[in-house]
Amino acid sequence: MVNLTIDDKQVTAPKSATIYEAATLNGVKIPILCHDKKLLPFGACRMCLVEVEQMKGRQIPACTTPVTEGMIIRTSTPDIVKARKMVLELLLLNHPLDCPVCDKSGDCDLQNLTYEYQVNSNRFTDAKFNHEIDYNNPLIERDMNRCVLCGKCARICDEIVSFGALTFIDRGIETKIGCEFEEGLNCEFCGSCISVCPVGSLLARPFKHKARFWALTKHKSVCGYCGTGCNLTLGVKDNKVLTTIYDENQGFHKGQLCVRGRFGYQFISSEKRLTTPLVRKNGRLVESTWDEALELVAGRLKGGSNVAALATPRLTNEELALFKKLLVENVGTKNFDHAAGYAHAALTEGFARSFGAAASSASILDIQKSDLLLVIKTDSYETHPVVGFEINMAVKNRGAKLSILSDKRGKLSKLPQAQTLLHRPGSEVAILNAIARVLIVDKLASATAVTIAGYAELVKALSGFTAETVATQVGISAADIKKLASDYAAAEKALIIFPAGQAYSGHNADLATAAANLALLTGKYDKEGCGVLCLSEKNNSQGAVDMGFIPQEGGLNALQILDACADGSVKTLFIAGENPLTSYPSLAKVKAAFEALEFLVVSELFLTETAAKADVVLPVCSFAEKDGTFTSTDRRVQYFKSAIRKSVHIKTDYEIFSNLVTRLGGAVPPTPALLFNEIAAKTPGYQGMSHVSLRKEGAFAPVATKPEFVAPQAAAPFTAETGKLALVTGSALYHNGTLSEHGEGPMHVCPENYVELSRADASLYKIAEGDLVTVASATGSMQLKARVTPRMPAGVVFSPYHFSEAPINTIWSGSPVTAVTVSK
Amino acid sequence: MNPITPIINGMKITLKHMFMKPVTLQYPTERPKVAIRFRGLHALNVSHDKAKCVACYLCPTVCPAKCITVEAAEDANHDKYATVYEIDMLRCIFCGYCVEACPVDAVKMTEEFELANYNRKDFIYSKERLLVKK
Ligand code: SF4
Ligand code: SF4
Ligand code: SF4
Ligand code: SF4
Ligand code: SF4
Ligand code: FES
Repeated sequence: MVNLTIDDKQVTAPKSATIYEAATLNGVKIPILCHDKKLLPFGACRMCLVEVEQMKGRQIPACTTPVTEGMIIRTSTPDIVKARKMVLELLLLNHPLDCPVCDKSGDCDLQNLTYEYQVNSNRFTDAKFNHEIDYNNPLIERDMNRCVLCGKCARICDEIVSFGALTFIDRGIETKIGCEFEEGLNCEFCGSCISVCPVGSLLARPFKHKARFWALTKHKSVCGYCGTGCNLTLGVKDNKVLTTIYDENQGFHKGQLCVRGRFGYQFISSEKRLTTPLVRKNGRLVESTWDEALELVAGRLKGGSNVAALATPRLTNEELALFKKLLVENVGTKNFDHAAGYAHAALTEGFARSFGAAASSASILDIQKSDLLLVIKTDSYETHPVVGFEINMAVKNRGAKLSILSDKRGKLSKLPQAQTLLHRPGSEVAILNAIARVLIVDKLASATAVTIAGYAELVKALSGFTAETVATQVGISAADIKKLASDYAAAEKALIIFPAGQAYSGHNADLATAAANLALLTGKYDKEGCGVLCLSEKNNSQGAVDMGFIPQEGGLNALQILDACADGSVKTLFIAGENPLTSYPSLAKVKAAFEALEFLVVSELFLTETAAKADVVLPVCSFAEKDGTFTSTDRRVQYFKSAIRKSVHIKTDYEIFSNLVTRLGGAVPPTPALLFNEIAAKTPGYQGMSHVSLRKEGAFAPVATKPEFVAPQAAAPFTAETGKLALVTGSALYHNGTLSEHGEGPMHVCPENYVELSRADASLYKIAEGDLVTVASATGSMQLKARVTPRMPAGVVFSPYHFSEAPINTIWSGSPVTAVTVSK
Repeated sequence: MNPITPIINGMKITLKHMFMKPVTLQYPTERPKVAIRFRGLHALNVSHDKAKCVACYLCPTVCPAKCITVEAAEDANHDKYATVYEIDMLRCIFCGYCVEACPVDAVKMTEEFELANYNRKDFIYSKERLLVKK
């Protein structure tokens, strides 16, 4: 800490602080335009000028100057005010001043400062800029005439997003922010640049002219897409969610969002939302009343064990807990599950046996504390982009090492010094086993590893996984495997990260165990910056596990439930929000199951393919219309309140479940807040939490680990016959599950399914970018648009799973790698 | 005071008024003369065959009676314009703040004061009704 004087006030500040930070810490306001606390100091605008006595009263920028002991600083002398006014005059000189038509008006730093400093006239005259406005993409408008050249957009896109779409071009008075070859913007559309732009140069087109900033009510919420659990502020007007608003103080991510969180909100106030219950009569779904629909459902739920249920992990903790209660206590069935049954296996089976808890042993915050990040699949960026930002920052700003094991390259492999080991698809577990063996054989394991239960069995089980044998099977060299092992062991703190989800069936219990073994062998768990972080897919995937909405002793799992539907042992299926027809493996199997069912109930926001097959469809609320808690992938339990009133004829899932409980003769369930108290009392780590205590900020549910070595089963290496390619499924950056199909932003930039293939395969099969190709597997064939990218290795093709128009489960039956032929 | 004096005074006034010009306006056959700064019905100014309004939302923001509804959109040239511009004359208090707030001189108040109507909905003046006619 250093002592200094700011405006005659004696204050202290950390040694590393800049004058601006010291002033902010002590409640002194210094105006800024080009500074952002997330970015490195830049010093472009000179709005933050202050006088320092030791520097003979010279005016220096506060945002770039570090504090020193005894500094005497003045922040608003008449001279400084004059200088700041001059800065503004010069900025306004070429500025179009079209505030009446500029969407930034009301939230514009330039406008606010101009008002604050009363810059009513300009001593100078000059022509206005006449730059062409970039309307080339549907999400971000770039009007460089309004730009004040603060560089924040270019800096955030480089420092945090690591895309580098924007940069300064030209010099002097000609300087502007541009894209490569001065073309239109074509990037990953995270919108980070929009959020930091202090003026109206970068604007969100989906929200353009929809409302004025001051007319919006701002509601804090939690993103309803992936498991990162980003915090959101929703901009609401007339009971409609019109936009997301940037709040730099929100969440661990400081307001940063990905394309889905920022631009995918339209599903909330979509015209296509279901508005009344539907009941099938004479083969057609017709509008009905809640009473009729729920009475019908309640009647069918009396079937006991011939009833089964699938829930989406997008429901709140309270809803999942109540649904489970309804099924177990009132219906009397043990057949329920979520996320296709295998997407949570890494947690519920893998971590459960390795760490003694069905949760990751690390948090997203550990990324910034780690020295080495071992990422399994570059897809970690696509599935959880804001976690990807954290990885970017750790690698770029702190110099953390990044090692990647992946079946394809990706954005993460482009980070400085990133080591990407490209292996044959489906061989992750074998490689991790080989690394574990190297750790043991080369004596890189920690001394305490032998004391952990199962050590001897593990050593025995790994005997076949010599680096050399595995190397020949997986397509990377033994030396690389050994290097990775020694790097991992040598790093003081190392963190393993892998994504899980419905498209990543290979990221199962064995992968989780294999990864956990590395952490256990080297003692890199239960410590800051160490552990294994499984990125679970949906916003409440971890919550669904914590609430125990998983297969029960003696009950069926999701895929078994579908089999049981097909063979008639399950007659009634209640699907809360899942869309198996698009997102579960093997379309034929799902169809057959639905066909054989006697009664299908679906509670949904939209009339999805699955809902269209139902006998009763119950319209429900999105996260913006209800209260509750979500648990993020790293066990942050976050409370959120409704942002808008729900429309009259829809109910929350909670209301539906509690209504059914009473219809089935149970006692009236408590309110969500009271039920959460019950949950908190009995869920490990949740003790002491309540809606009230979580109101201001989410809380981590700590994970108590009980380590044990388990030998993971490695799948036999995938070998494609000649003429066949290996299809791997996954998530596209712009989508999450099937919900994002109803978000305009994601659909603007990624509207349809595609198959991504390598240049080598493209030239081999004479396929060009954009061609419609036939992809055929043993179970079916479908037509997909081809994308030819340098990131795919020869022989491997990739396709995402989110699209109901061309569902990949037509040709994919759930195996991590599928042999396919691709032809034009 | 002589009790008769007030009666005489009163009669004087009556007699005087019998020979004065009457102040009653025989509305509607006779028309009042409206001052030029009178704040009557609004009108939207037109320039180049288009409403001048750029849908900046300043008038609905400043309006104390909250009776102006504006909805903005982007036209084919990416210019902002008002798809909806409505004033609810039943709620308008004719303060003229909207005129004062408008940055582009798009809205004015006319001398029109005869706003009576039979239906409540007829008091909602749409953009078409408010546009200055040629
Ligand atoms: S950027 Fe700010 S100052 Fe410039 S036109 Fe827009 S609102 Fe006005
Ligand atoms: S949207 Fe994201 S990726 Fe695109 S330019 Fe802006 S910051 Fe960069
Ligand atoms: S576009 Fe915005 S963020 Fe980028 S330099 Fe210009 S003013 Fe700054
Ligand atoms: S989708 Fe995930 S990463 Fe993106 S904003 Fe939402 S929670 Fe964050
Ligand atoms: S203030 Fe003027 S330009 Fe703005 S909305 Fe009202 S009439 Fe239109
Ligand atoms: S804020 Fe310090 S120079 Fe711009």
